Amino acid sequence: MVRPPLRSSYNPTDKKCHRALRQLFFISLGGFFSVTSLALFQHAPSSRTEIFTDATEQAGIVWRHFSGESSDRFLIEAMGGGVAFMDFDGDGLQDLFFVNGGETPRGKSDVPVRNALYHNLSNGKFEDVAVKAGVDRLEFYGMGVAVGDFDNDGFPDLYVTGFPSSALFHNNGDGTFTDITHHAGVKNAGRWAAGAAWFDFDRDGYLDLVIANYARFSFDEIKKCELNGVRTYCEQKAYPGMPLTLYHNNGDGTFTDVSEKSGLAKLVGRALGLVTVDVNDDGWPDLFVARDASPNLLLLNKRDGTFEDSAIDADVAYDLRGVAKAGMGVDAGDVNGDGKPDFVVTNFNDEYHSLFVSTSSLLYIDQTVRSRLAAYTKSYVGWGAHFIDYDNDGNLDLLIVNGHINRVVETTRVDVKYQEPPLLLHHDGKGVFRNMREEAGSAFQSAYRARGLAIGDFDNDGGVDAVFTRLDGRPVLLHNNVGQNDSWLGLQLQGTKSNRDAIGAKITVETGKRKLVRWITGGASYLSSHDKRVVIGVGDDCSVAVNAEIRWPSGTIQQLSRLELKRYHKVVEPTVNEPAGRKRK
Amino acid sequence: MTRTRIARPRLRLSGALSRRLCALALLFATSSVLSMSQIISNTKQNNDAKAHSTEGLALAKAGNLQSAEVELRKAVALTPADAGFLENLATVLAMEKKFDESTSYFQRALKIDPQDLVARRYLAANLWQLHRYTEARQNLRILLNANPGDPQALLLLGMVSENIRDYATAAKTLASVPTLVREQPESIAALARCYYHIGETEKARAWLKELQNHSGGVQATLLGVQIADEMQDYTTAEMLLSSVAQSYSDQTDLRYRLALVKFHAQRFEESRQILQELLQDGHKSSDVNRLLASCLRALNRREEAIHALQEAIQLDPGNEASYLDLASILLAEKRVSPAMELVQRMAKAFPDSSRVFLSKGSAELGAGDFTDAVRSFTRASQLEPTSPDAAIGLARAQANAGMTEQAKAILYGAIGRFPEKARFELELGQLLLKDAETGDKSAEVKAEKLFHSALARDNKLAEAHYELGELALRRGEASRALIHLELAAKLAPSDARTHFALSRAYRQLGREQEAAKESSLFGKLKE
Repeated sequence: MVRPPLRSSYNPTDKKCHRALRQLFFISLGGFFSVTSLALFQHAPSSRTEIFTDATEQAGIVWRHFSGESSDRFLIEAMGGGVAFMDFDGDGLQDLFFVNGGETPRGKSDVPVRNALYHNLSNGKFEDVAVKAGVDRLEFYGMGVAVGDFDNDGFPDLYVTGFPSSALFHNNGDGTFTDITHHAGVKNAGRWAAGAAWFDFDRDGYLDLVIANYARFSFDEIKKCELNGVRTYCEQKAYPGMPLTLYHNNGDGTFTDVSEKSGLAKLVGRALGLVTVDVNDDGWPDLFVARDASPNLLLLNKRDGTFEDSAIDADVAYDLRGVAKAGMGVDAGDVNGDGKPDFVVTNFNDEYHSLFVSTSSLLYIDQTVRSRLAAYTKSYVGWGAHFIDYDNDGNLDLLIVNGHINRVVETTRVDVKYQEPPLLLHHDGKGVFRNMREEAGSAFQSAYRARGLAIGDFDNDGGVDAVFTRLDGRPVLLHNNVGQNDSWLGLQLQGTKSNRDAIGAKITVETGKRKLVRWITGGASYLSSHDKRVVIGVGDDCSVAVNAEIRWPSGTIQQLSRLELKRYHKVVEPTVNEPAGRKRK
Repeated sequence: MTRTRIARPRLRLSGALSRRLCALALLFATSSVLSMSQIISNTKQNNDAKAHSTEGLALAKAGNLQSAEVELRKAVALTPADAGFLENLATVLAMEKKFDESTSYFQRALKIDPQDLVARRYLAANLWQLHRYTEARQNLRILLNANPGDPQALLLLGMVSENIRDYATAAKTLASVPTLVREQPESIAALARCYYHIGETEKARAWLKELQNHSGGVQATLLGVQIADEMQDYTTAEMLLSSVAQSYSDQTDLRYRLALVKFHAQRFEESRQILQELLQDGHKSSDVNRLLASCLRALNRREEAIHALQEAIQLDPGNEASYLDLASILLAEKRVSPAMELVQRMAKAFPDSSRVFLSKGSAELGAGDFTDAVRSFTRASQLEPTSPDAAIGLARAQANAGMTEQAKAILYGAIGRFPEKARFELELGQLLLKDAETGDKSAEVKAEKLFHSALARDNKLAEAHYELGELALRRGEASRALIHLELAAKLAPSDARTHFALSRAYRQLGREQEAAKESSLFGKLKE
């Protein structure tokens, strides 16, 4: 199908900009990116283009989540639903992996409970190949997914979390996966695992695995809670917390449990979401863990295989009143433009989703109220959250999905609903957000029991798309209609000395007007995994090209100059520090 | 904690009737010029009225107050401007304890003859009975202006002053009429209470000791026990109890009162032993079980406390206090389901009890059932419109249910209506802070003003100090924050939030050691 001409806000009288109006159509980067076609969506836009279009049906996604909801009201029934963007077959297109829940003693399914692996067919359509790939079934109740190429063979592998164990699926490179959990030693047996993240904590070039374990749980122990005579899910405090798990990648297909040695095993709490990012800019990845009615953790890497929790010193453990909120999802991004990561954490209704903004020291400022996040999220229970520059103006916006856990909430108060709409919050660049409900699209005016959220550019047009899961429902795939309109830079990093996925890399882009910092993080959001490429919006700067600096996880610094906008660039880690001036394809 | 209270006794006037009867000899005659027929008619009316009045007084003297009232009403109906008849009727009504109506007749009589000091004294006594203390005091001042040494008036003024908590005036006034005070145990008790309040404990004790040999007998001494207990002079209370140990025939009651005093003195184990012995000796009652439950709760033996209260309910299903105590423990133990079952039962059993609906509302709040809590607190308010607890509960329930505007309206109204304004100002301020967090910036300014106003009324409100400290901290004014937070910590040392805020304030000021100490305290208190 013919790709429509690029729309642009460029000034045609400007010579530089005139050059920029040339139509770039094919992107060929060593076979990693194929031809894309943008006139995929035959939806009839309204007179004003909605920012996101619900592309689920068009994409052919019919899979449904099954929670095993039962009269026993096991809390796990209300918590699952991870999703991942990943290019499992290396064809340059982001595919989708959905984790299903499972049956409970009295919550049975008429059909087998299966995961889904939707292969991107490049025409806006997807095909479920989970059975063929060997990732359709789990031996446990499924929760989340972390995608990472743990053996650096160029094909992303899958770690699926759940209860009472988790599983590692090795990508064989031929469209299939093999369950190597036992061989690898990463079963995490007996635990209710929620979020997981790949990151190279010891910088040996191999991705290690950290797991957020939630709570002590058993299907043999029924906790009875009710409201107005109606059975409800008990509050999370009825379930004692668990320590984190850290597996060190031995580089030979096996892992060693270093939870004790690293100091993570003593941090007991109800951990859910986590993100790995270099907080103190020392080149070593740190960890932010969102915990549910337990204080959040900010684990600084001490570079000796151990971590130290600095959440209290950083003022991110609790809210301003010393309350450990119900932290579920978390993401890191540079909101205030100081080059340091800031954090968003989703919480329960009445708690507000938190925004912690960095200062020049380790201390964070709680900007939840000033940013207006408090005003928008008072009545919502938040789960997946991700910073996303949806319009590529260079400012990180926010996408959050919500949904309550107890139906009966609507009989007890007038302002909180069981199903809740997602939020698209536009950032003005000065720390204040605006709810884009009216312009965001019909999906933002509907209500869901949403859980996992992943972001990725599934049609490679530079507009970052998104997908979120729903309890006992079909997921929602959102196509971004506006991101491609503004200038953007796409980077796909490939580590050599560093882990191949380049998780932990710090990218600084200079546009002439500003400096934008982004990271390739591990984890992020809730139970979900994201497109490993980075799309950096550069706004209305009408330069054709920009410069970038990459600090690789290994410590190597690479300078890139005159990177063309509105395209993806594959960047391979050099063997030595590379100065600016050399253009990389 | 349950505190058994005996109703405060009222002063009994003596000799009122005989004095009143003497005054009945005085009659008013009209002074206006009238026609012969009117004169004849008036004369006949007066004679008829006099006859009714005479008959009424005779009936009153014989103790037949109802019939006396009828006759005296007839007298007043015939000659409504006769102050004497009005006073007679007022007196009989007072003796029938119809104080409101009696008061209005005394007032009418005094309008006709403002110099009648006896009527004014009786009016003051009525007003005191009706808790209309300010008016009572006004009338007593008129009396004492006319006759400064009037002992009856001084006695009554002392009692009134004590009621309005002007303990210094009350003590001085009552002490000026010691003979009269000694006549009644209630006035001795009132004087003793005043002395306790103004810090003259020895004088208080001396007066209470007089109750030991009072003609009022054991009951007088027990009144003394009550006062000493109330004023936390437990040694004196126990001493008074032991002084009647031999003479008091109701040993069960004696032991119960001793257990009560020991409970108030926080000697829970000693109290528990007495009560358990009472039960073992077969003296089962709901009061004993309730007090035992309170002791057990204080001793952290909560299961046994619950059991004791269940026993109390079985023994006396009509005593709502047992249910209320049980609901309170269940809620404190976060046993939401049994608490909810209990409050539903309570509401059915006591549909007209404001306290029951208060308890129900609290349970529903704790369970997160906010809309039902709104209904319960609304009912509590309807049953007891003057209950500040019902008003606050309702506002809280509404706020939690998302009915914020209604909650604010309740609180604004309550600030106007109730004397305990500080409490409502604090609550409203906290609600406005939530508004400020979700976008209304002016709400923060209003909230701050309310906290300051609350503190001006009651500077021991730890919560208000905390909120002001928090606000200052958010604005980066750590030094100012510290002033309020340190006060809050002194007033409420076990509030974890305050120590959390203090640690942040110290950190902002670079006082790392103190910050660490507060942080550690916060960690311990949170658990």
